[in-house]
Amino acid sequence: MLEIQDLKVTHGPIEAVHGIALTVAEGACVTLLGPNGAGKTSTLSAITGTARSTGLIRLAGTDISRLPVEARAKRGIAISPEGRRIFSNLTVRENLVMGAAGRRDKSAIGSDIRGWFEQFPILGERRDQPAGTLSGGEQQMLAIARALMSRPRILLLDEPSLGLAPQITARIFDIIGDLKRQGITILLVEQNATAAIELSDYVYVLNNGLISSEGPAERYGDGSALMDQITGVHG
Amino acid sequence: MDYAIQQILNALSFGAEYALIALGLAIVFSIMGLVNFAHGEVIAFGGYSMVIVGTLLTRNPFLLMGAVLLACVLVSVLLERVAFRTVRKADLTTGLLTAFGVSIILQNLFLLLGSPRPIPATQFIFLDRTITLGAVQVSSLQIYETLATAVAIGFLLFFLRRTTLGLAMRAAALDFEMVRLCGLRANRVIATAFAVSGLLAGLACIFIMARRGSVLPHMGFDPVLTAFVACVIGGFGSLPGAVLGGFLLGAVEVAVLVLLPQSYGGLAQAVVFALVALILVWRPDGILSPAREKGDKV
Amino acid sequence: MNPSQRRGLLGSALLSLLILLIVGAYYLWGEAWQARILYATFVNLLVVVGLQVFMGNANLTSFSHAAFMGIAAYAAAICVTPVAMKAISLPDAPWGLNAFALSPWTSALIALGITGFLGLLTGLFIARLTGVGVTIVSIAILVIVHSIFLHRTDIFKGNQALFGIPKVLDLPQITALVILAIFGARWFRESRFGLQLRACADDEIGARAMGVNVYRTRLVAWVLGTMFFAVAGIAYAFFLGTISARPFYFNFVFLTVAMLILGGLRSVSGAVFGTLLISIGLETIRWLETGPEILGIQLPQMLGLSGLMLGVVIVGVMAFLPSGLMGNREIEDIIRPKRQETP
Repeated sequence: MLEIQDLKVTHGPIEAVHGIALTVAEGACVTLLGPNGAGKTSTLSAITGTARSTGLIRLAGTDISRLPVEARAKRGIAISPEGRRIFSNLTVRENLVMGAAGRRDKSAIGSDIRGWFEQFPILGERRDQPAGTLSGGEQQMLAIARALMSRPRILLLDEPSLGLAPQITARIFDIIGDLKRQGITILLVEQNATAAIELSDYVYVLNNGLISSEGPAERYGDGSALMDQITGVHG
Repeated sequence: MDYAIQQILNALSFGAEYALIALGLAIVFSIMGLVNFAHGEVIAFGGYSMVIVGTLLTRNPFLLMGAVLLACVLVSVLLERVAFRTVRKADLTTGLLTAFGVSIILQNLFLLLGSPRPIPATQFIFLDRTITLGAVQVSSLQIYETLATAVAIGFLLFFLRRTTLGLAMRAAALDFEMVRLCGLRANRVIATAFAVSGLLAGLACIFIMARRGSVLPHMGFDPVLTAFVACVIGGFGSLPGAVLGGFLLGAVEVAVLVLLPQSYGGLAQAVVFALVALILVWRPDGILSPAREKGDKV
Repeated sequence: MNPSQRRGLLGSALLSLLILLIVGAYYLWGEAWQARILYATFVNLLVVVGLQVFMGNANLTSFSHAAFMGIAAYAAAICVTPVAMKAISLPDAPWGLNAFALSPWTSALIALGITGFLGLLTGLFIARLTGVGVTIVSIAILVIVHSIFLHRTDIFKGNQALFGIPKVLDLPQITALVILAIFGARWFRESRFGLQLRACADDEIGARAMGVNVYRTRLVAWVLGTMFFAVAGIAYAFFLGTISARPFYFNFVFLTVAMLILGGLRSVSGAVFGTLLISIGLETIRWLETGPEILGIQLPQMLGLSGLMLGVVIVGVMAFLPSGLMGNREIEDIIRPKRQETP
C-alpha cells in the first residue's frame, strides 16, 4: 500500500532522516520504533507532506511525494498526529465532520459518525461537548476516529500512547488491534516497544535518522530487548 | 426619554457598523494572522463600483446593493490572491506593513482613476428617513443597520456551525495544518475567509454610502482604524470579541458625544484610542493572547 | 573602543561623506528651488535614522514618530514666533501662549524638553509591551496627538497653517544635524545598549537569562528615538515658516517607514540609503504627476502616482526583500568586508 525509498527529511538546515526505505503492505500493521529524536515523527511528516523531503513515497502505486498536504489526505493518507491535535474549540461531532472534510460522498458521513459513536460510546455521550473538555484517552480515541472518518487507505498513528495512564494505554492498543482486525492498514510510530510489537506484523527500528534494524515482529520476541535499547535502560 | 432612546439607537447603529467591519478583520486575522488594514479600501471599492454600476447599468437600488456586495467579495478575494498570499508565512509585522502598503496602493489608484473630490452616489440615501415611532423620531437607517447587522451575525453563526467550510474556518483559527491534514485545501479556506470578510465589508459599505451619499478614496480608512480598535478590545481574532468590541466602541463614542460639550466632539477618536492603549498596557498579553496561541500558518 | 565601534566610526564617516557629496553637488550645480527638496529629504533622514534607533535595534514596529515630530514642531514654533505675528496667527491662544517669544535656541531646547518628557512618559508604557502591542499603542499615540492638534485649533490651528515662524535654519545647519544623527545612531547601535537590544530582538528570553534588562534598554532606545524626531520637527518648523497638523499623520508615517524598510531596518546605512532612494524616486514621480511633456508627448496629470509607488515599494519589499536592501550590513561591510571572526 505504502512504499518509501531513499527518504530524506529536512527541517530548515537540519536533516532529520538520512535516506530510509520502508514498505507497508495492505492490511498490515507496521511499527516504526525508536528513541526520541530518531526521526520517527519526521518520517510521518514527510508522508503527510508537512515536512520537506526528497525520495520516493508511493501510495497504492502512485508517487505522491510532490503533492501538497491536502491532496495526499484526499488520496487516502490520514494521521492521528503527535499530541493528538484535536480541534479543542469544536465539539466532538464537529471534529469528526472535519475528519471527513476531504470526502466526496457526503451522504455517508452521518452514518459513519454514528458508527464511531457506537464503537466509542463515551464519545457519543459527549458528542456536543467541546473536544477540549475530553480526557487524554478520549482525545486520543477522537483523534483516531477523526483520522478514519476520511476512510483512508492507510492510517498513520504517531505515539498514540504518549502521556496516557497505563490502563488507558492498554485500551488504546486494544482499539488499534481492533482496527487491524477490521483490515485497516496501519503505520504505527511508538516508543512503547512491547505493546507495539505485540500487534505488529513487521517492525522497523529507527536510530539517528537511519533504519538500524528491521524484520517480522516475531523476530523481536516480546520486544523487551528493544525497549531497553530505546529507553536506554540496561539490565 | 425619547432623547435616551435616540442615543441608544445611535450607539447601536454606530456599534453595528464597527461590529460589521471588526468581524471582517477578525475572520481574516483568526485564520492567517493578518491585520488587514486594506479592508477599508475594500469598502471604498464597493463605493466606486456603486458609482460605476449605477451610472452604466442600473439605477435600481436593490440591484446596486447586490453589485456592491459582489464587488467587495471579489476584490477581497483578489487581494488575497495577489498581495497577501506571498506574505502568508511571514510574521505579524510584515503582514501588517503589507496590508498598509496595499491600502495605500488602492487609495491612490482610486485617486488616480477616480477623483480626489467626492463623487456623488445617492441611490441608497432613501434608506435614511426620519420615521416616528410613537412619540420618538428616529432614523430608519439606524434601524436597518442594527437589524441587518444582527441578521448578518446570525448567518455567520449558522455558516460557522453548520457548514464544513465554516467548521474548517473555526478549526483553522486553532491549527491550520491539521485542517489541511483533514484534506481541506488551505487556499480554499483562506479564500472563503476573505470572501466572508468582503461580504461584511460590502454590507458596511451599503450603510456608509446611505449615510454619506458620495465616495472618497480614503473613506474606508478611519472606520477600519476604529474597527481595528474594536478587535483589540475584544481580543484579536475572537469573533464574539469583535462584535462586542464594536458595540462597546459605538457606546463609548456616543457617550463621549453626549457627555462632553459639543465642542469636544472631535476628541471621540482620541478617547477611543486612549482606551485601547490603556487596555493594552494593563494586559499586554491578555488581550492579544489568542494571537499568540494561533496555530501554524500555511 | 572595541573593533565594532571602530567600524561604526568608519561607517558613519563614509555615510557623512556621502551626505557632504550630495550637498556639495547641490552647491556646485544645483538650482535654488532644489534646496527645499534637499532640506525636506534631510528632515526625513533625521526621522528615518531616529526610527532605526528603536525599530531597527529592537525589531519592533512603531508608527508614532510623526506625532512626536509634530509636538516638537508646534512647541518650537509657538515659542519662537514673534508676539506681533502670534497676535495674527494665534489670536485666541490660552495661557498667554501668544504673549511671549523666545530665542531659537531656547525654543528648540523647550521643544526638545517637552518631546523628551512625553517620550519618556509613553516609553514607560511602550517598553513593557511586545510585538504588535507596541505597534497598536504607537498608532493610538499617533491618533490621539493628531486629534488634539485638530481639536485645539486655538493653539494648533488644526488643518490650517500656523504661520509666521522665523526661518532659523538652512542647508548647512541641517547637514550638520544629519551627520550628527548618523554618528549618534551608529554609536547607539554599536554601544552596549544597542547590542543588548539587538540580542533581545533575536532571542528575548535568552537575553533576559544573560541578565539584560530588556525594559530599560527598550526605554532608552525609545526616548533616544523621540529625540531624533524632536530635532526633525524643530528643523522642519525652523525652515518652512508654516506648519499644520496634516503632515504629522499616517501619510508621513508610511513614507518614512517605507524608506526604512526599503533600506533595511537593521542597519543605519540602510536607513540612509532607503531615504535617499525613495526621495529621488518620489521627486521623479512628482514631476511625472504634474503631467510634463516628454519627447513631445504631453502626459496627463496623474495625481496619486507617488502614493501608488510608495505602496508598491512597501508591498514589494515585504514580499520579496523582507530584510531590505542592506539587511544586517552596514556601509563599511560592503567596502571592507568583515574578516572571518576566529573564536
